[in-house]
Amino acid sequence: MAQLTNNFSDWLNQRVDTESSFAFSEAVRSPSLSKLAGGIFPTRKDEEWRYTPLGPVLDSSPGKDSASELDIDFISNLKQAVPTGHTIIFINGDYSEKYSDDPLSLDDTGLSITHLTQLKGPALKMAEDIIVHSNLTDDNIFQHISLGLSQAGLFIHVEKNAASKTPIHIIHISTAHSATSFTNPVNVVRLENNSHLKIVEQYASPGDSAVITVPANYIQLEDGAGLEYYRIGIENAETQHVCNTSVKVGASASFTSHQYLLGSNLTRSNLEVSFSGPGAEAVLRGVYLGDDNQHLDVRTYLDHAHPHCSSDQHFRGILNGHSRGVFNGLVLVREHAQKTDAQQSNKNLLLSRDARVDAKPQLEIFADDVKCAHGATVGELDSDALFYLQSRGIDKKDARLMLTRAFAAEVTQEIGIESLQTYVKGKIATSLDEIVSPRV
Amino acid sequence: MLSIKNLQVSVDEKPILKGLNLEVKAGEIHAIMGPNGSGKSTLAHVLSGREGYRVDAGSAHYKGLDLLEMAPEIRAREGMFLAFQYPIEIPGVNNTSFLKKALNEVRKHRGEEELDAIDFLSLIKKQMNLVEMKEDLLKRPVNQGFSGGEKKRNEILQMAVLNPTLAILDETDSGLDIDALRIVAGGVNKLRTPENAFVIITHYQRLLDYIVPDFVHVLSDGQIIKSGTKELAYELEERGYDWLLEDSEKV
Ligand SMILES: Nc1ncnc2c1ncn2[C@@H]1O[C@H](COP(=O)(O)OP(=O)(O)OP(=O)(O)O)[C@@H](O)[C@H]1O
Ligand SMILES: [Mg+2]
Repeated sequence: MAQLTNNFSDWLNQRVDTESSFAFSEAVRSPSLSKLAGGIFPTRKDEEWRYTPLGPVLDSSPGKDSASELDIDFISNLKQAVPTGHTIIFINGDYSEKYSDDPLSLDDTGLSITHLTQLKGPALKMAEDIIVHSNLTDDNIFQHISLGLSQAGLFIHVEKNAASKTPIHIIHISTAHSATSFTNPVNVVRLENNSHLKIVEQYASPGDSAVITVPANYIQLEDGAGLEYYRIGIENAETQHVCNTSVKVGASASFTSHQYLLGSNLTRSNLEVSFSGPGAEAVLRGVYLGDDNQHLDVRTYLDHAHPHCSSDQHFRGILNGHSRGVFNGLVLVREHAQKTDAQQSNKNLLLSRDARVDAKPQLEIFADDVKCAHGATVGELDSDALFYLQSRGIDKKDARLMLTRAFAAEVTQEIGIESLQTYVKGKIATSLDEIVSPRV
Repeated sequence: MLSIKNLQVSVDEKPILKGLNLEVKAGEIHAIMGPNGSGKSTLAHVLSGREGYRVDAGSAHYKGLDLLEMAPEIRAREGMFLAFQYPIEIPGVNNTSFLKKALNEVRKHRGEEELDAIDFLSLIKKQMNLVEMKEDLLKRPVNQGFSGGEKKRNEILQMAVLNPTLAILDETDSGLDIDALRIVAGGVNKLRTPENAFVIITHYQRLLDYIVPDFVHVLSDGQIIKSGTKELAYELEERGYDWLLEDSEKV
């Protein structure tokens, strides 16, 4: 279905001529630009967008004004999430030399980080190969924005057998005075055979800056590699965030992903994982926490294209006010993918009468010797547990708070970086403090 | 301390307690026995303020306060404690921080200073020895994956930490092996003072060898049909409830 004219699309197409220093080569850009020229954005008549209105994105036409001065405390608070990490900060899509760690300080054998705009020759080819062979389909218009117009992003490359000790901590801050700010960062990640890395990506927008963020991530894990990948969104209520991530997981490789959607007005996060060899594993975790009129949409697609692979998904939603959550998870087990183990669980907690969630776990199985299970629940706090806590002297509000935090902690306790676990739990606790009220 | 008069309670329009009377004074231990489904747990739940029960008539006063008007957490802070027949598991809530929070709520209410982490830990270590509980159970979520016996010990640990004025133990002995039974009973006996009281719901006279009650009551079909001393428990062990039911029908 087509939505042919909209402010956003017009604005994007103007950008083709007014901007320069795009990240990718003409060969990659031009098919994407012609897609953008077509201006075809999905509507709610498209099955994949049934629950999520794109209005807040398509109605806006971002402008350019000088970034408002950033509070240093705001930045150091974000850095706290991973004090031991190598921090790379982008402000409105521009690399911030001032706030980022000195690239020369990164002393990790086998790990290299390059700005996409500085990629040349074989390295550019390597990055673009990963993009061209990604899982994202051609009709995914948002990836064309990234490929056609992106001016910022990183190529992160780990050579074979290298185990990076430093987590890479990428922080995207969007801020503006009056106009809507727009960023479309792209990360390309390649882990060669048996290499290991942790990446933490944080998205933040202070104050009430209006922001549109359209990130794309292309990840390739080669045989035996291991990546832990964390995304944390704590943007303000004027932020629209549409993200696509494609991950290819090679034989015996392991991909662990955590997503925490703790802010924004609208977030749509699409994560597509495919196994490109046997014996691989994917662990997907996430929490979406909504209040007021927030709309948080998590989509996962898991392609079991090889035998002996396992996937384990666990997503939890907490929704208050008039907020709305969407979980849409499709697991595809192809005919020859015998001995697949695919688990998917989605649990939702509604804290108010007007909050709502659409949970749609889907399994499509074409192999016969597999172990697959999926389930989704939507409910309120357990009244027996509430009573148990109250019967020990804890008042109703605190009891609700404890149980709601505990609900999220079932996922957050698996965060494999201690400081980040503390940080995310703290963010969730602070939000819950504000929204959990005693209910009669 | 506890005075229940003509208490009538129903659940979903179904009468469960049908005019129950009970007086408990400081320093006393009362045992309540009775057939399955007679209303023992219902009584314990109503006294501790669980939702879902309708009080149709009667009253319950605790330390002169109108118990039925109080929120469950206020009852707890005023010194009431219920050891649950079926303690539930609470995933994600750490056992230690839960207990610390509970104790500090109770202390605040009593006008006592809150305990910091260090003081709390030394207190809890002492009480854990009392119930001979393994330390790693404290680090786990409340009751999660605990064995039946471990759950019951955790209830007694909570009781020992909160040091209640009136403790109601709902079949804490069920499912305990003989060693655990002795430990639980030992805990109760150590906590016993002239100022506090216990109501012990049980099916087995065995427990009453370790915790000697001052009174034994038989609850049947929502009413206390007989009260006596500990000798009554022996008689029930031997003869069952039938003779009592027949007796009460004759009356
Ligand atoms: N929430 C409820 N809904 C419907 N019936 C209930 C509810 N709670 C209790 N009852 C009924 O009330 C009666 C008394 O139950 P209660 O649990 O108080 O018995 P009890 O004396 O503790 O039994 P037991 O010795 O088996 O523990 C039973 O018939 C039970 O089915
Ligand atoms: Mg019972």
